Amino acid sequence: MSILIEISENLQKGKAKIVKELVQQAIDAGMDPQEILGGLLSGMDVVGEKFKNGEVYIPEVLVAARAMNQGATLLKPLLAESGAVASGKVCIGTVQGDLHDIGKNLVKMMMEGKGLEVVDLGTDVSPEAFVNTAIEQNCQVICCSALLTTTMGVMGDVVKAAEAAGVREKVKILIGGAPVSDDFCREIGADCYTVDAASAADVAVALCKELGA
Amino acid sequence: MNARERCLNILHYKNVDRMPAVHFGYWKELLEEWAEQGHISKELANTAVVDGSVAQKELDKILGWDCVWGYSVGARLGLMPTFERKVLETLPDGTQRVQTGTGVIERIKPGIVSIPSEDDYLLKDREIFETLYLPKMQYTPERLNAEFFKNFNETRDKTVPIGISLGSVMGHLRDICTVVGMSYLMYDEDEDLFAEIVDTYAEMQYKCVEATLATGAEFDFGHYWEDICFKNGPLLSPELFDELCAKHYKRRNELCHKYGIDIISLDCDGVTEKLIETWLTNGVNVMFPIEVGTWGDQFEPARKKYGESILGVGGMDKTALRKDKAAVDAEIERMKRLASMGGFVPCPDHRLMPGTKFELVQYYTEEIKKIKV
Repeated sequence: MSILIEISENLQKGKAKIVKELVQQAIDAGMDPQEILGGLLSGMDVVGEKFKNGEVYIPEVLVAARAMNQGATLLKPLLAESGAVASGKVCIGTVQGDLHDIGKNLVKMMMEGKGLEVVDLGTDVSPEAFVNTAIEQNCQVICCSALLTTTMGVMGDVVKAAEAAGVREKVKILIGGAPVSDDFCREIGADCYTVDAASAADVAVALCKELGA
Repeated sequence: MNARERCLNILHYKNVDRMPAVHFGYWKELLEEWAEQGHISKELANTAVVDGSVAQKELDKILGWDCVWGYSVGARLGLMPTFERKVLETLPDGTQRVQTGTGVIERIKPGIVSIPSEDDYLLKDREIFETLYLPKMQYTPERLNAEFFKNFNETRDKTVPIGISLGSVMGHLRDICTVVGMSYLMYDEDEDLFAEIVDTYAEMQYKCVEATLATGAEFDFGHYWEDICFKNGPLLSPELFDELCAKHYKRRNELCHKYGIDIISLDCDGVTEKLIETWLTNGVNVMFPIEVGTWGDQFEPARKKYGESILGVGGMDKTALRKDKAAVDAEIERMKRLASMGGFVPCPDHRLMPGTKFELVQYYTEEIKKIKV
């Protein structure tokens, strides 16, 4: 079996230790880091699809993402040396007043699994912090998460802050979280709502592409 | 008829004079808001948050509620003793990293009302389980306040339903391990250890329930808390949930049945559909609170699939109580349809949250009582 398939399959099973060993083996054998990354990403793709289809659940995604991170950590310096570029850049955070971050972290993992560069702003993030980060770090997408009906309104403030800063046309705003819906997305003028973490990653990739990343 | 008789009759498909106005309790911040608006006193706002308390009953009366669902009593079913709660670190913005009673490290930010974010957790391997947690997961007689149950049947409020606390087969462990920690243990690091933790904890809780029932105290229903689902369904695979938990529900529920308790209610937020089979086939028959508004959970599909064996309390979109009369009327109409199936008690689908309008709650309770069953 090719080592890339082995990496992908073990990642899907969440076997972090084995994935790390296999990635190291591949590096030692002189494989192109970009190609090894492809093995990791293909594994996350499978997990993401299964998650969207309800075939696997949050624990499987979490262990797969951990395995992905362990492999990717070894590859990062090599990819930087080779001048490889991410497929886009997004900033993500849980909105102001909300500290819940499981959903946000899942989305971040799935996005990294799609090869996006993710700036994690953490929790309780103000609308200005989202927008300023997007401007300063050239992010194509702002991703906002909320758990509470009492905090989801802040997402509308993020849209307004982007308008006020004059970057609304340059930055897409993606929202998600327990109380959020398509109707709410339209109501506040955000660009996209996605129902789960894997879909959020797919949409973010498409939005980055649309903006020419 | 009183609220207890109404609730229990409906859940046994018997006649009632009218629908009871049942709720799930209040967010503390809502009560503070109502106090600020002059609807209730500050003193009431501080005390009415406790389910089953005299103060809550006083507020319920003002609003027109008949009772709260889910109020249950029993032995101490968690870690005992809990870990000492301590502040590990205070960050420049005032955020504190706190080790909680379950051993989870939480990040708590001043002035923010939210579920805290979890930074870390203690229960990561067998050594920690055996040294720190196992001693806290044992049954001891101190878990039961025998004095409280001595004259329980005579002194309890006989007008409202009171249940026996049956604990939690998975939800408490989710709180102890965190979702992330639980996932790593279950799926990668040590699945046997996780199964052993589930069994150990369940054994302690079984003995607690056994000791409580042995006091002779009589209860109207049994009540679990799980909260093991979210917007897109369960937090773990239904197959694994069944494998780990089914036997424990069955054993605990059979014990309740021996004591004549045939209403077994389970509080689980999120979309519960994929776990219902495990619960129902192992003796849990009341789904609560059926979160329609926030998560889109539904009762009708379960009733269609499982027939009259499945009962429900909840299902009313509480967010309507933040809007206007028209939104409440629409919910009342929906509740009428659900109630007509029998075995279903309408109740807001979670605790009433900030922004809920005092006068709309009063309107809702008036209208819901008009529903004939």
